Amino acid sequence: MSSPTSPSDFTLEVFQNEYLPEGGREVNAIVTVTAPAAGQAGGPAAGADGAHRAEIIIVDCSGSMDYPHSKIVQARAATTAAIDVLRDGVAFAVIAGTDTAKPVFPADGSLVPASAATRQDARWAVSQLRAGGGTAMGTWLGLAGRMFAATPASLRHAILLTDGKNEHESPDQLGQALAACEGVFSCDCRGVGTDWVVAELRRISTALLGSVDIVADPAGLAADFETMMQAAMGKQVADVMLRVWTPQHAQVKFVRQVAPAVDDLTGRRAQSGPQAGDYPTGAWAGGESRDYHVCVQVTAAAVGQEMLAARVSLVAGTEVLGQGLVRAVWTDDEALSTRINPNVAHYTGQAELAQVIQDGLEARKRGDEEEATAKLGRAVKLAEESGNEDTARLLAKVVDVVDAAAGTVRLKRAVAEADEMALDTRSTKTVRRKN
Amino acid sequence: MPVCPAGHDSTTSDFCDTCGMRIEGAGQASAASGGAGPAAPGVSAPAAGGPESGSEAATPAAEPCPQCGTGRSGRFCENCGLDFAAEAPAATTGSATAAGPTPAAQPAPPAPAAAPMTSATPPSASAPVTTPAPSAAPGPSPQPGWTAVVAADRGYFDATMAASGPDAAGIEFPGYCPERRFRLSGPEMRIGRHSASRGIEPEIDLTGPPTDPGVSHLHAVLVLQPDGTWSVIDPGSANGTIVNDTEIATGVAVPLKHGDRICLGAWTVLTILAD
Repeated sequence: MSSPTSPSDFTLEVFQNEYLPEGGREVNAIVTVTAPAAGQAGGPAAGADGAHRAEIIIVDCSGSMDYPHSKIVQARAATTAAIDVLRDGVAFAVIAGTDTAKPVFPADGSLVPASAATRQDARWAVSQLRAGGGTAMGTWLGLAGRMFAATPASLRHAILLTDGKNEHESPDQLGQALAACEGVFSCDCRGVGTDWVVAELRRISTALLGSVDIVADPAGLAADFETMMQAAMGKQVADVMLRVWTPQHAQVKFVRQVAPAVDDLTGRRAQSGPQAGDYPTGAWAGGESRDYHVCVQVTAAAVGQEMLAARVSLVAGTEVLGQGLVRAVWTDDEALSTRINPNVAHYTGQAELAQVIQDGLEARKRGDEEEATAKLGRAVKLAEESGNEDTARLLAKVVDVVDAAAGTVRLKRAVAEADEMALDTRSTKTVRRKN
Repeated sequence: MPVCPAGHDSTTSDFCDTCGMRIEGAGQASAASGGAGPAAPGVSAPAAGGPESGSEAATPAAEPCPQCGTGRSGRFCENCGLDFAAEAPAATTGSATAAGPTPAAQPAPPAPAAAPMTSATPPSASAPVTTPAPSAAPGPSPQPGWTAVVAADRGYFDATMAASGPDAAGIEFPGYCPERRFRLSGPEMRIGRHSASRGIEPEIDLTGPPTDPGVSHLHAVLVLQPDGTWSVIDPGSANGTIVNDTEIATGVAVPLKHGDRICLGAWTVLTILAD
């Protein structure tokens, strides 16, 4: 299958202060990557491109899904809603997860193209789902990975729904399963209720380049699944890599996605040349835009010299979809070298925001109130400064804000568990800088 | 192929694909961010083996330069020009004419008699010179005044262009090229373009402007003969050396006399004056 978009339409914009003081070595830049708008450049009409997509919905059917019973009921409804959104021709399957993994539809463990008839059969199969058994997510993902590997589809996406801890396998087993699935498919994770572990699902969604979120009330599942599936149907280009070339003796200090959510890619580097590494970004929808923060340490050059600190390009397979240049210019003009690019400052703040929220909640769980107050107070201040209103709202459910601008807060005595988990899961969501 | 200020050959023409330095003449505009930049056709090249020559790429990432501590890559230190190959096996006298980290050791003069005929590629690593006592003192040896006059020669340029392949397209005869005179002294005079990264500081440095793109960093060497005359050796330059309309063989010393013309690169002509 050829790529449905004209690849060269990706744009990369670089925001940085390229001026370094004498002896300066660290170069920071925000790279905004924007995919071509959907339907541009002769792409096939919506609905006609189902054949290179594959979708698997993994539904937790462990015993706890029956407590309350509404969870399994809503899970079935949500799965049905997602199936209804599938475009004709998209290969799909449904897996029921317990301490093992079982293909529910089709029962033979293959994927079938979506049509009115197969959707009808799938709905019936899903309506028969019953709760009972354990939880072994690595096993579920392993089965999905093997099923995806057998399809010719290039855009492979899964939804994993769970309500509990990964109790029936070790973290190592989950890690091995994830390693086998990386690059095979992407996976959005949803936790229903409050008995699941944020860190566990985040581990899966990070490794498999998807999102993680809490659906505290099972009644909200169907709408959420529909939205996720629609987003998946909008993806146009699969397996896109961010390639970062750096000069000899330079070091990439980090590469992280900073919008729409913080996701550190530094450890995901795959060497693609003597001086270049690829970082996975997954699939892109038409018109989708993301920001990346690239930090490179170079060898200092003399004042007045100019160096290319990084050549950032977007590649799919062997095709280069676009590139941007991160430069370094050494100057003795302090007015130039001391300026911090506003985008770099903004996203440095957003990354810190995510970190202090996670640290603060962690401290709160430990009972270290002083630390928790300090960290969450800092978070409130950062959210206020950057205009991250969603995060500010979530924070306000966990702390009483005395003075947002100064970051003065008091921990709330009673916090709904769902609110705390929502703050944790969504802590990585960022906002773009307002101009 | 574009060459960056540090002397790296680069597959990209805007910035060096090895060290990242801006390549002279690359338009400022190309630095602006944007979509698929036309300035860098080789952006995906690093995936396919990269620009390094085979031997350099094969060099394992070793410990930093023993002299200045810079990270090591390739044979010569990127920063101070130290020749690692010469350092490693036998760090003795005469090892580093190029980088000169051991000023105590006077570069061994070309061995007397017929030695320069074949083995004389002076800047190469640790020459097999075993005679520790320099018989012919390298100092102020009796040298009548020999001079090399460097100029850009239109006739030679036209002939070169006519005989060249597509590589030569885009090379232009310099509009202004002052005559440069070099007094021949010492046991040898290297002709080339200096390169900090390769540790080459030729005595006859033809770095411009205007820079002749056809002149190698180490292009040819003038070697003093025991009888006080001079010979020229081409140690293996990329584009060869012509003495009086005849291309000379690599590594063979060709005796020179007054009025001889040594042609190299696209337009550079050295006229030898012996008086």
